[in-house]
Amino acid sequence: MSAPQTVYEPFRAGLPPLGSYLRSLWARRSFISEFSRSELREQNYGSVFGQLWLVLNPLLLSGVYFLLIYIIGGQSDATRYGHLTASLFLFYLISNSLSGGVKSITAGQRLILNTAFPRVMLPISATVIALFKFIPTLFIFFIMRTVLGLEYSWNMFWAIPVLLIALLMGLGMAILISCINVYFRDIASFLPYMTRSLLYLSPILYQASDLSDQLKRFEIVNPIFYLLDAWSQVMVYAQAPDLFSLMHALIWALSIFFVGTYFFLSRERDFAVRL
Amino acid sequence: MQNVGLTYKTSIVKRPTLKARLKTIGRSNKHTRVVNALNNVNLDIHYGTVLGVIGSNGAGKSSLMRVISGIVPPTQGRIEVHGSVSTLLALGVGFNPSMTGRANVYLGGLAAGMSRAEIDGQFDAIAEFSELGDAIDAPMRTYSSGMYARLAFSVAATVQPDILIVDEALSTGDAHFKEKSLNRIKELRTADRALILVSHAMATIEDVCNEVAWLHKGKLMARGNPAEIIKQYREFMQVGKSAAANEDV
Repeated sequence: MSAPQTVYEPFRAGLPPLGSYLRSLWARRSFISEFSRSELREQNYGSVFGQLWLVLNPLLLSGVYFLLIYIIGGQSDATRYGHLTASLFLFYLISNSLSGGVKSITAGQRLILNTAFPRVMLPISATVIALFKFIPTLFIFFIMRTVLGLEYSWNMFWAIPVLLIALLMGLGMAILISCINVYFRDIASFLPYMTRSLLYLSPILYQASDLSDQLKRFEIVNPIFYLLDAWSQVMVYAQAPDLFSLMHALIWALSIFFVGTYFFLSRERDFAVRL
Repeated sequence: MQNVGLTYKTSIVKRPTLKARLKTIGRSNKHTRVVNALNNVNLDIHYGTVLGVIGSNGAGKSSLMRVISGIVPPTQGRIEVHGSVSTLLALGVGFNPSMTGRANVYLGGLAAGMSRAEIDGQFDAIAEFSELGDAIDAPMRTYSSGMYARLAFSVAATVQPDILIVDEALSTGDAHFKEKSLNRIKELRTADRALILVSHAMATIEDVCNEVAWLHKGKLMARGNPAEIIKQYREFMQVGKSAAANEDV
């Protein structure tokens, strides 16, 4: 008899053979996209506006926050509004990825208990859904910044690496938190407070330069602080982001991604028992 | 499979109140119950075998299927699998009720590990087998449970793996469709494929399988000729050939 293709042995925390894992993940890429699309469609299923909510949500969101800073801050120049919307939209890419990711494993119970597949697919599709929700907001933002009369420049192509870092960050966070939620379900209840704090700790309702140096020193521990700052530099001011911001964001994103993926892959065989 | 064992720990909370929770928080001796789902099961299944797995509720049949397919790692022993495994442990896995039947054929097929091109090629066959007609373009939440199960079975039966594990998935739809799905399973019996069938329907097992394994409380009680094992099992369970036990599902 030939050598066995697969051997199943008692669970030990450890990485699965990465080559074959990635191959089977790649083989399921169309499932990821189909699964994400159907989940997304289901979220707006039966509502009058349907998929229009993908555009309405960010519009209303920026409207509400504009109201807030207008009332509190009393100032409402075009760049400030541009900064608010651009940062808010990117923030929601990460926060949607987190909130979709947290329950991706526990909600996928039926799939997990009945089919063998790379489990990391589920948090990945949470990030894909967050990305699908983000794309229409980009269009809205570009219309908005044209109306506001903000300048364009070639530097805006820096948005591509910044966005890639943000995606990696969102993906890493989704993978990490989905795995934590299997062992510690309470994290799902903590999450809204965590994202809310993150929103206020990040330069969204204010600009990074408004912060005193003393406070800013602590923002080093905020993974998305400099990411959002870089995004605002690029998208609102059409300037190249400073290297420190980019490096800070990249290092955080890579660390979260690798820690989360390691934690997830080494434990995923245990998930079916824990659900 | 060599000495395969599987133990679960399930926690028991007798009174899920806030007070009880506060008392036990941080303590290591939680109320747990250890379930021995599988106990030293040795089994080898060759290509060409159609193995029926029988046993009472909670005998460990589904656990055994999950261990073989790699969904749950065993707590003891070792399982070697030579070939691709497809599982049909529950119908409609990966389906999304708000999507149309058509979209769900793709979702379910992709979830079962088929490629989009394969599904494209098989789509007409799937739709025809399910006998849904125009309803295939209606959202699945509008389906009756029979229609749902028919579509789910049709998708699942198109996957052509080396090893197919079917867990009580034949009880779909009306008598006509049951007959049809049973025939479909029979078609899947080939020399280069191993089929594992879990069922409570003794008549089906006797009809389809060429070997039967009987599990009881996580132990492999007997294995061999279908008629013989089923007879032993019936005597053990003290049920005669009553209509209810024979019910072909």
